[in-house]
Amino acid sequence: MKLNIEGLLVYFPYDYIYPEQYSYMLELKRTLDAKGHGVLEMPSGTGKTISLLSLIVAYQKVFPLEVTKLIYCSRTVPEIEKVVEELRKLMEYYSKQTGESNNFLALALSSRKNLCIHPEVSALRFGKEVDGKCHTLTASYIRAQHHGNPDLPLCRFYEDFDALGRQVPLPAGVYNLDDLKDFGRRKGWCPYYLARYSLMHANIVVYSYHYLLDPKIADLVSKELSKRSVVVFDEAHNIDNVCIDSMSVNITRRTLDRCQTNVDTLQSTIQKIKETDANKLKMEYSRLVEGLKEANVARETDVYLSNPVLPDEILQEAVPGTIRTAEHFVGFLKRFLEYLKSRLRVHHVVQESTPQFLKDVFDKVCIDRKPLRFCAERLQSLLRTLEIADIADFSAVTLISNFATLVSTYSQGFTIIIEPFEDRTPTIANPVLHFSCMDPSIAIKPVFQRFQSVVITSGTLSPLDIYPRILDFRPVTMASFTMTLARTCLCPLIVGRGNDQVTLSSKFETREDFAVIRNYGNLLLEMSAIVPDGIVAFFTSYVYMENIVASWYEQGILENIQRNKLIFIETPDAAETSMALEKYQEACENGRGAILLSVARGKVSEGIDFVHHFGRAVIMFGVPYVYTQSRILKARLEYLRDQFQIKENDFLTFDAMRHAAQCVGRVIRGKTDYGIMVFADKRYARADKRGKLPRWIQEHISDGSLNLTVDETVQLSKHFLRQMAQPFRQEDQLGLSLLTLEQLESEEMLKKISQIAQQT
Amino acid sequence: MAALSEEVLLVLKKVRQRKQDGTLYLMAERIAWGPEGKDRFTVSHLYADIRCQKISPDGKSKIQLQLVLHTGESTTFHFSNDSTALTDRDAAKELLQQLLPKFKKKANKELEEKNRMLQEDPVLFQLYKDLVVSQVISADEFWANRLGDTNHADTSLTNNKQEVGISGAFLADIRPQTDGCNGLRYNLTADIIESIFRTYPTVKQKYCENVPHNLTEKEFWTRFFQSHYFHRDRINTGTQDIFSECAKQDEIGLKSMVVQGVKNPLVNLLSLQDTTLDEGYGGFTTLPSTSNPNRSVKDSSNSAIIKRFNHHSAMVLAAGARKGETPADQGSETNSTDGNSRDSDFFQPPVKKVKLKEAIEYEDLQSENRPKTVALNLKKSDRYAHGPVPLQSQQYTTSQDIINSVNYIQHEMVNYKPNLTQVLSSTTASSAIAALSSGGVLMQAATQQAINQMVPSEVQGELKHLYTAAGELLRHFWSCFPVNTPFLEEKVMKMKSNLERFQVTKLCPFQEKIQRQYLSTNLTGHLEEMLQTAYSKFHVWQTRRMLRKT
Repeated sequence: MKLNIEGLLVYFPYDYIYPEQYSYMLELKRTLDAKGHGVLEMPSGTGKTISLLSLIVAYQKVFPLEVTKLIYCSRTVPEIEKVVEELRKLMEYYSKQTGESNNFLALALSSRKNLCIHPEVSALRFGKEVDGKCHTLTASYIRAQHHGNPDLPLCRFYEDFDALGRQVPLPAGVYNLDDLKDFGRRKGWCPYYLARYSLMHANIVVYSYHYLLDPKIADLVSKELSKRSVVVFDEAHNIDNVCIDSMSVNITRRTLDRCQTNVDTLQSTIQKIKETDANKLKMEYSRLVEGLKEANVARETDVYLSNPVLPDEILQEAVPGTIRTAEHFVGFLKRFLEYLKSRLRVHHVVQESTPQFLKDVFDKVCIDRKPLRFCAERLQSLLRTLEIADIADFSAVTLISNFATLVSTYSQGFTIIIEPFEDRTPTIANPVLHFSCMDPSIAIKPVFQRFQSVVITSGTLSPLDIYPRILDFRPVTMASFTMTLARTCLCPLIVGRGNDQVTLSSKFETREDFAVIRNYGNLLLEMSAIVPDGIVAFFTSYVYMENIVASWYEQGILENIQRNKLIFIETPDAAETSMALEKYQEACENGRGAILLSVARGKVSEGIDFVHHFGRAVIMFGVPYVYTQSRILKARLEYLRDQFQIKENDFLTFDAMRHAAQCVGRVIRGKTDYGIMVFADKRYARADKRGKLPRWIQEHISDGSLNLTVDETVQLSKHFLRQMAQPFRQEDQLGLSLLTLEQLESEEMLKKISQIAQQT
Repeated sequence: MAALSEEVLLVLKKVRQRKQDGTLYLMAERIAWGPEGKDRFTVSHLYADIRCQKISPDGKSKIQLQLVLHTGESTTFHFSNDSTALTDRDAAKELLQQLLPKFKKKANKELEEKNRMLQEDPVLFQLYKDLVVSQVISADEFWANRLGDTNHADTSLTNNKQEVGISGAFLADIRPQTDGCNGLRYNLTADIIESIFRTYPTVKQKYCENVPHNLTEKEFWTRFFQSHYFHRDRINTGTQDIFSECAKQDEIGLKSMVVQGVKNPLVNLLSLQDTTLDEGYGGFTTLPSTSNPNRSVKDSSNSAIIKRFNHHSAMVLAAGARKGETPADQGSETNSTDGNSRDSDFFQPPVKKVKLKEAIEYEDLQSENRPKTVALNLKKSDRYAHGPVPLQSQQYTTSQDIINSVNYIQHEMVNYKPNLTQVLSSTTASSAIAALSSGGVLMQAATQQAINQMVPSEVQGELKHLYTAAGELLRHFWSCFPVNTPFLEEKVMKMKSNLERFQVTKLCPFQEKIQRQYLSTNLTGHLEEMLQTAYSKFHVWQTRRMLRKT
């Protein structure tokens, strides 16, 4: 249908529309109009992606100069592919309605592992191996050497792309990862470099967060993207952790050992080159003297390593004299390495700020701040000069130099913690140096500054106001949308007591309590008897789940559950869990029914949807607080309190509740879906916890279902399931939660729709 | 006394039945009991008739053995010899335990099947009575055709019964009971054993290897229950355990399943993340505890339990799916000749496409909910494309043809001119109409329709039976053609004589009976005609055979 969103003609590729989609588009348009940033929360399964795409594409078509590009960031590869498929649907609708072929270029970008078509390289299993192997076939000096020595293997796909691929831009259309591969195979061009090259003139780019948020990658890939772009972060409830992860470094003794061998190799290589081709090193030196930012002309394929700090922090001056010659630099690295080794020899926990650390470095081994800042850059130049092919081998020394650069660049927002052992095993020495970023706004700041509109959206962003605070930006719109429902298809229940009135809670004091574990078991057992098909249960941590499973096994609870359903359990091994997941789906599919025991914050809770019969009930055992004894967390909490005036408890609860909401939200994926959400912990009933759940869940928790026993839960669930099992047709929804164009345009409905969005 | 010629395997004295003392005999094919001092058996059961035996619990004062028959009846024997009652009973039980399964397997299945068929199908039952009881054909002959039929053509009848899956909790159903003196007793049934075998093929393999050469069945199961294999929380204890190998094989199986990976890309957690952070980067996510090499024993036992549960569930699921799906899977397997990982890549895109399509679909936003159709799943599409082609090309009338012909007829009608000189005269016309109306000369055949009013119902019933019986026999007869084996030759001869016998013993008396009742209509005409056709066919065949022989 064609919609009129405040004067903007929007093509929407469906015949019906949910009211909240309309409302969402309204808010989104206001954000774009204001050229500002926005935070929008809308339940998953209400067609968030298609609404976003429809509106932004329409905006691009009408105002091609205002918004030149849409950069859509998602978290996982399947998500990315889903977005592109939805986009394809939209584009097909466009060309069908307007009758003209599309001139839009939209493409997905992913790592080499997902795009490589070279028969040998793509057979490798791990992304890192693929990257490394690719580099050995495409690096500029390898290609230069090839002229003299034609036996040297090259990647013919890259060669062909380099020879021909840049002349003609990629024809307009929608390219998913597989389409790019197909296209690459047809033409004999490397899809990865083709995609990266086409990024610049594509109208829509879909890729993962890292390409914007991780400075090491962003600098390579996203450097030249137009400022007049709209950036969308979908599934953004965890965005702060992504930001932090990309700027944090952990150094163990093993890293240092490997780094030592790296440095030794460097030294011997320098020695060798000095004997054969001393000129090369001299040339590098003179370039560095001249203060060229990069000592060699960086080719596309060489910039495999990049500066770990944000672009605006990189110094625009010549590399200092102390590390200009190769030998000096290696000596410098050695000194720094020895210093780090001595720091890891401590027997007690040390926590210090970056200035403290820098001062200590200066005192102990006389290393200044400035050369440290150039460490990463100098290493890149050296590796390139030495023509080292397999850069993956040098990851340790790269890590150390990146750490050096980071630690000397940022004086605020970071902390250094040295732990001589793990908390759980105090007798085993396993020293780790954590260089931890505490301020997610550091990594995302350039994104907010550079692009005119950044939209952060997810199914679970409550409470909305916390994100602008921790990411440090001023949004022009903040809204949370509820799900309009013709029938209440979700049933949140808070179970506070067992049948024997024992309080159910996963809090630390009662964690090992036998009665609680037994009652949890009972809850699962009873639910397994009444819920059809699939049940997903989440535990607060993996260790907790292991303990509970063991104790359920001893008590024979699991055996009884097995009478009703098959049991599958998440393990730390991703491959094993994938298999368990597939079997779980198979068991749901063939009618036997199954239970999946899983972990909040785990891979399953973050990336897998349990649509329809794959999840008719989800049980959240306990409140998924993060492990609070971690020093890094404590440091971060302190920082949040000092810098952003966010209380520790508020943040912890916020973090726990967003993960709980993520877990339970997995079960509802649309209005035709239905599911029970059981919160099995008394603490959920408290206003401070409940209030942090997304509005679309919160509004269905009645006062009567705040402190239920197991039996009452079973009764309510039975009733709910019976109701839901009735046929549900489109006509039942029409006019309430599903609108035709005429219904949408009625006065009354527009008034109603304006209430859907809750501004905060 | 049939017992004279039989081999008596066991004789037990002082066994009471219905409060009467007597002697129990276990013979090669039956079990029998005769009262004291008498020379005949009052109770005698073929082993094949016995469904199962039950024994009284150990603690009971009366030591009894009960036999339950397939018919549902049961017979209880009470062992009353004070000193040896228990050993007597156990001896009988042991022997029965060995004997019963032998008979159960062959005899019962068939018998039960026959019985069931006769009960379910009254027509068949009548036929059986007509043909077998009156000894027109032998029972074996009757069934030979029937059962063969059900096995081949009528597979839907027997195979329609769904394969019964395995309960997920079958291991839990073996509840150990304490026997009061520091021991555990597990009750195993044939069903559970089958479940174990189906779920854990390695155990079955062990069973085949070890029982009965190395271990008795009982020992085998005792070891099974003692093994760590059964107790999932125990960690490898010793190498003398025969099941430790099973565990290893399971481990390998699990590994291979994991290595195979998953077909559905949406649940593949490995490829979920796009760019993983390099080693050494990352925030305060604590490393998973398993990466720690020095884990306490308890921890690893916990993770062993978790692994086992996953494995168990997967195996149960696989056992359910195995039967039905293996041929199809093999089909796809053979298609992809080189079984390496490349073809999984090759197959992936379609699955992925479908899953992605599913994932982005909003069924309620679409305008019409088209009826869900089952997608045609072609494992071998070329076979579908080159399937059987009709021999003669069919004649299609296109709509254009129809329109043309309609036009043509219209055209004809417009130009129609009656040829008035050559019409019938009105009298001839009216007499012709009268002859063709009901009751007219030409319509006499129509009066015969009321046969059900003219013939009494019992005659009708009898006629029906005759028809089915004759039909059955004729079916047998015609099924012999073309006669190309000596066996069929023999059979066709026999069938011919059967038919003749049928005519003499059944059909002729019926004809006489009809004549006695003055039912003039020739009710059996058609039957005779059918028989005659068969005879003439037989004669043709015979003369031809003679010719060939000479």
